[in-house]
Amino acid sequence: MSSRHLWAITRKETLHIFRDRITFFLVILAPTILLFFMAYALSVEIKQVPIAVLDFDRSATSRTFINQITAGEDLALYAQVGTLYEIEDLLMRGKIKAALVIDPNYARDLGSMRGMPMQVIIDGTEPQSGGFAIDQISWRAEEFINQTLAAQIQALDPSLDDLQPIDLRVRTWYNPGLEPRVDLVPGLLSIVLGMPALSVALTISNEREHGTLEQLMATPVSRTELLLGKMIPYILVGMLNAVLIPIIAIIVFDIPFNGNFLLFFLLSTIFMFAILSLGIIVGVFMPTQPAALALSFLVIFFPGFFLTGIFFPIAAMPEIMRLEALALPGTHYAIITRGAFLTGVGLDVLWPYGVMLFVLGCSFVAVAAIFFRKKLG
Amino acid sequence: MDARPAIIETQDLVREFKKTRAVDELNLSIPGGELFGLVGPDGAGKTTTLRLLAGLLDITSGSARVAGYDLSDQVEAIKPHIGYMAQQFSLYSELTVRENLTFFAALYDVPRAELGDRKDRLLAFAGLTEFKDRRAGHLSGGMQKKLALACTLIHQPEILFLDEPTTGVDPISRREFWDILNELHLSGTTILVSTPYMDEADRCSRIGLMFEGQLVVCDTPARIRAGIKGEVVELQLEGWQAARSMLEDLPGVLEIQTYGESLHVLVDSADRRMPEIQDALDSQGIRVKNVRHAPLRMEEAFISLIQGMEG
Repeated sequence: MSSRHLWAITRKETLHIFRDRITFFLVILAPTILLFFMAYALSVEIKQVPIAVLDFDRSATSRTFINQITAGEDLALYAQVGTLYEIEDLLMRGKIKAALVIDPNYARDLGSMRGMPMQVIIDGTEPQSGGFAIDQISWRAEEFINQTLAAQIQALDPSLDDLQPIDLRVRTWYNPGLEPRVDLVPGLLSIVLGMPALSVALTISNEREHGTLEQLMATPVSRTELLLGKMIPYILVGMLNAVLIPIIAIIVFDIPFNGNFLLFFLLSTIFMFAILSLGIIVGVFMPTQPAALALSFLVIFFPGFFLTGIFFPIAAMPEIMRLEALALPGTHYAIITRGAFLTGVGLDVLWPYGVMLFVLGCSFVAVAAIFFRKKLG
Repeated sequence: MDARPAIIETQDLVREFKKTRAVDELNLSIPGGELFGLVGPDGAGKTTTLRLLAGLLDITSGSARVAGYDLSDQVEAIKPHIGYMAQQFSLYSELTVRENLTFFAALYDVPRAELGDRKDRLLAFAGLTEFKDRRAGHLSGGMQKKLALACTLIHQPEILFLDEPTTGVDPISRREFWDILNELHLSGTTILVSTPYMDEADRCSRIGLMFEGQLVVCDTPARIRAGIKGEVVELQLEGWQAARSMLEDLPGVLEIQTYGESLHVLVDSADRRMPEIQDALDSQGIRVKNVRHAPLRMEEAFISLIQGMEG
């Protein structure tokens, strides 16, 4: 390996990043913009879910219950209806996401402590809102039972006050507010910091398309010099992003950072190496830029979203998917980011993931170097 | 024919693609210092030949030696000795003229001490000195070609492979480009250039005509012209459109080319056919303003040869 060759390729690629507007955007600005978009879009809080109520009981108790349910910000009473047909009509027209049907024996059964007969109907085409409505109604129903029980017990023995018959104490660690943002933003870092992988894939197929690769093949430059020289500038830019973007996450999105920043930076650099090597493979195999773009989405971004455990826990995946997840740099990096930001763990916990990223990066480079020949056709 | 040893030599060189045999048992021998022109119709295998010789394609069978190295197992050893300019050569458009030169100089390990001097000379040579800080993407087509040539010359290669280097370049730039090639030729560089332009082929020391992957004719331009069984009759007449379609059917007429208001008729024998053409035109009432026996152009020689192959 000649350091002069390596430096020539690195320098040329660096000039390309800073002089080509599209590459500059993709590598330097896009990660930040993407983080903003995704963090806002994915952490939208559901509020004011419209529901309808069909009250067959029409008692004072049921009216109080309905008032309590719709008192907060979470559920909005769209209509009080008289028949099930009206509920179906409202659901079909999308006016409501859920409906609460109160049994004719509601007040009587609750008074005699036999239960709380009611039914919740939700719109399964929008399970998020529907599920949210179920959670809210269950939680309010629990409250309501608590109040009713407390009132009845107190009637039997007035000396008892401040009663809380059901008392479930929930403690959420690392993200006390259970705010989706706090958990998502560190996870999303693996995707936004992986953006330069797309550019590195495109830069190889771009040279192939424009014929400059043919020219390079006719020179004495070696394959490794070429591939590494192309990767180095993107790693450096990635390291810049690895400082900038966490700072944005901490300041703008108010994400706590409990770990060691230096360690995080070091592990991020290894992640850059791994994800960029994956980009190199894409560039080596794909003949044109559109093909490289398509394959990047297929092997880098979609799996990055769905298989790396950012949204769906890996433990819940079928075995084959879990194996695939292991081969994705994002999987290991998501653990590192969550560790560094939220749990604040150190190298004693994170080292296997760093090693794994390094091993993945080396294997990707090896595959790329084997299949990348200085030949056409 | 030539006592100098061959610097480029192929023996039954074959390159097959999925369905076609682009180069079919090619035997080519080029002595050092020659300016060799490769001509032939599109798809004859010129580009494949140049790519094979530059080590960019695997050989299917046969053998080739370039600069004393075997193409099948010493490909990388060849590369420092050659300069290769692809047909759709494109430079790094975001780099300046000078940065492009520096880049290729580094890849070819040009000694740093010589680099500044060589760059200055090549820039002057290519007439690019005043554009040295301009981005390659902002140069005209002709200047880009000259810069591309300068980049392939930075390491002073012994052998130059140029694949249609002047396609899409205006006539003045084309002439300038060929003046540069002539200077290189005089300084002893071996040049293998493919071209679709017959006037360019005429400037080579030897021409090889490729057809269906083989070298069918290989000789000096003068001798190729001399070997053609055909002569050109130039006609200036009124109503050449009607005359053209009529003449095409006459016996002995091989090819008709239109040059403005005149027709170049390639015939097997001018002495024999000239009166016949005259008679035929008279019978149709087409007035002939001028008839003369014109010299055979390389283009007509080439067409005649190709028609001989196909027909």
